[in-house]
Amino acid sequence: MGKGIATACAGAGFDVLVVDRSAAIAVYAVEKISKELDRDIAKWRHTTSEKKAILGRLRAVDGPGALEPADLVIEALSDDLALKVQTFAELDRVCSPDTILATNSSTLSVTEIAAHTKRPDRVIGLHFLNPGPRVPLVEIARGLETSDLTVTAAREFVHQLGKTGVELFESPGYVTTRVIVPFLNEAMYVLMEGVATADAVDTALKLGYGLPVGPLALADRLGLDELLRWMQHLFQELGDLKYRPCPLLRQKIRAGHVGVKSGRGFFEYDENGQVKTAEAA
Amino acid sequence: MKILVLNCGSSSVKFQLLETDAESARAGTDRALAKGLVENIGGTAALKFEVPGRKPVKETAEILEHTVAVEKVLGFLTDAGNGLLRDRREIAAVGHRVVHGGERFKASALITDDVLQGIEACFDMAPLHNPPNVRGYQAVRAVLPDVPQVAVFDTSFHQTMPAEAYLYGLPYVLYQRHGIRRYGFHGTSHRFVSARLASLLGRSPDDAGLRLITCHLGNGSSVAAIRGGRSLDTSMGFTPLEGLVMGTRSGDVDPAAVLHAMEREEIGVGQANAMLNKHGGLLGISGVSHDMRALLEAEGQGNARAGLAVDVFCYRLRKYVAAYIGVLGGVDGLAFAGGIGENSAAIRARALAGLEGLGLSVDASLNAAARGSETEISPPGAATRVFVVPTNEELLIARDTCAIVSGTPSSSGVTQQSKPASGE
Repeated sequence: MGKGIATACAGAGFDVLVVDRSAAIAVYAVEKISKELDRDIAKWRHTTSEKKAILGRLRAVDGPGALEPADLVIEALSDDLALKVQTFAELDRVCSPDTILATNSSTLSVTEIAAHTKRPDRVIGLHFLNPGPRVPLVEIARGLETSDLTVTAAREFVHQLGKTGVELFESPGYVTTRVIVPFLNEAMYVLMEGVATADAVDTALKLGYGLPVGPLALADRLGLDELLRWMQHLFQELGDLKYRPCPLLRQKIRAGHVGVKSGRGFFEYDENGQVKTAEAA
Repeated sequence: MKILVLNCGSSSVKFQLLETDAESARAGTDRALAKGLVENIGGTAALKFEVPGRKPVKETAEILEHTVAVEKVLGFLTDAGNGLLRDRREIAAVGHRVVHGGERFKASALITDDVLQGIEACFDMAPLHNPPNVRGYQAVRAVLPDVPQVAVFDTSFHQTMPAEAYLYGLPYVLYQRHGIRRYGFHGTSHRFVSARLASLLGRSPDDAGLRLITCHLGNGSSVAAIRGGRSLDTSMGFTPLEGLVMGTRSGDVDPAAVLHAMEREEIGVGQANAMLNKHGGLLGISGVSHDMRALLEAEGQGNARAGLAVDVFCYRLRKYVAAYIGVLGGVDGLAFAGGIGENSAAIRARALAGLEGLGLSVDASLNAAARGSETEISPPGAATRVFVVPTNEELLIARDTCAIVSGTPSSSGVTQQSKPASGE
């Protein structure tokens, strides 16, 4: 997700510093972005000179210490509260006091993350969806202490990215995750109960409701492990049974079939993430 | 009167400082004092400044936005060593090339908030061009807030096209609701070149019987059919995509082929747009380059696809020229302009080959010798005289700007000239 956000920002003309768990991983991330841009060129999304310009604005740096000059930091770690809290505390120390700190999480609490910094008024949720450069939406989530000034700056930033910002108050899952997760979960129950095959479930929903992608294929793209984390969090936070993860989801994850990134989830995928064959579930 | 002319692209600013007024424009003695460009704005930009008769100045600098580029240009113009301007306030007005003026702008206009909104209303129709044009205007406003600015539209000259030429065979409601019709572009160039061509033929540009075809061939290319100084038809349409095959633009394509490609390649509107505008044309066919010089060189070295791209380019141009002879009911003069038109004898010859029966041909040695200056290239005594006419859009933009800010707009905007204005 971080790569997608970095590409979207660089594509809109922002200078971007890329930080990862280590300097080497950050460099590798930029290399992956370069490869992704080559795929974009083959699909006429970018030209070679646009690719050059985007890469020219991306710089892999050693660690959070290098983020001091940033006006905005967008954190896109996996949804692990302890990790995020620790990271924000560090960002709070190293970044300029004016820097806005944003989290890309849609499930964890902006307010809780902000509470571990000395600048809760300048902490905000900026939720990008995959693939970051192409999804034209960003959810702008206000925590309890987020200031109007910070929201205005975030709104302007999202506008400059050429995306549409939807403003909302912090709540588990915001709008997108909260609504999509039970939908995907229900599709898994339908599959588990043997009502229809994976292919049939996706075809029915795609064609029936004009969706660009079926729920099981979407779950595979999002990553089943990530999806389970979101569901557990929603279930825990909201306490409603409708967020109870489908047992089939857990089973898939235990087998290592976590979706497109592992080559297999509800469907099988080739190296380019294209569906190979519909799995008889 | 000193006029700064700007042509702002998404990551570039081209400029000229010109000295002009009504009298010198009439006499054709107005001239450029300096010119240059800033490329790759948004990163490490390359700057090039030229004053006639002196060594060009080149430098690089970190330039992140147009405002900084405009500041750089002003810094150069007011640099004491260049002796151009003592003070930036000597700039009487700024003229901008604006690509799309829709149906609203039939002539150049002083930029007011209302005019600005009109230009922004055309963003959808010229997504590559109008937004940076506006950015250039805003950059100047930030730096020179009191200087009047004028927009000179690529579309204005073609607003004289009759409905039979500008309407597509689409449901009429699309024209009524969304202004979907043909507009044509490169109007400033066609206007300039046709006026010069008329003069070279010893005729007045608004001579009602004078039938001209002007070919502006550059990275973007178009042809225009002009009678009595008025554009009757031109090859570009709703956007600068229609018509000739260009550097990276496809030119004419069956729209159903695009819809089919979108379905088969699973691409959306944005990608299809980029495919047609940035990945097509000479580059798309050849897979080698968008640059005609590089293609001719590659063709010479045996690259068949490069040769094919050149053939498609020339064939399409020949088809349009012949069609416009039909539109005009004959032709008295034809001009080649633009980077390719002014410099490539091979393309001129290949494009007109086969049109001898319609009275068009080039003399091999005259053609080979013509490069970047006003030159007749048709054989002596030819039925239709063919010329190379270097275009000078900046000069015409400066003249329009000067006329508007001094409150004496000429009726047609086309100024008479007694001699070549481009200085070659």
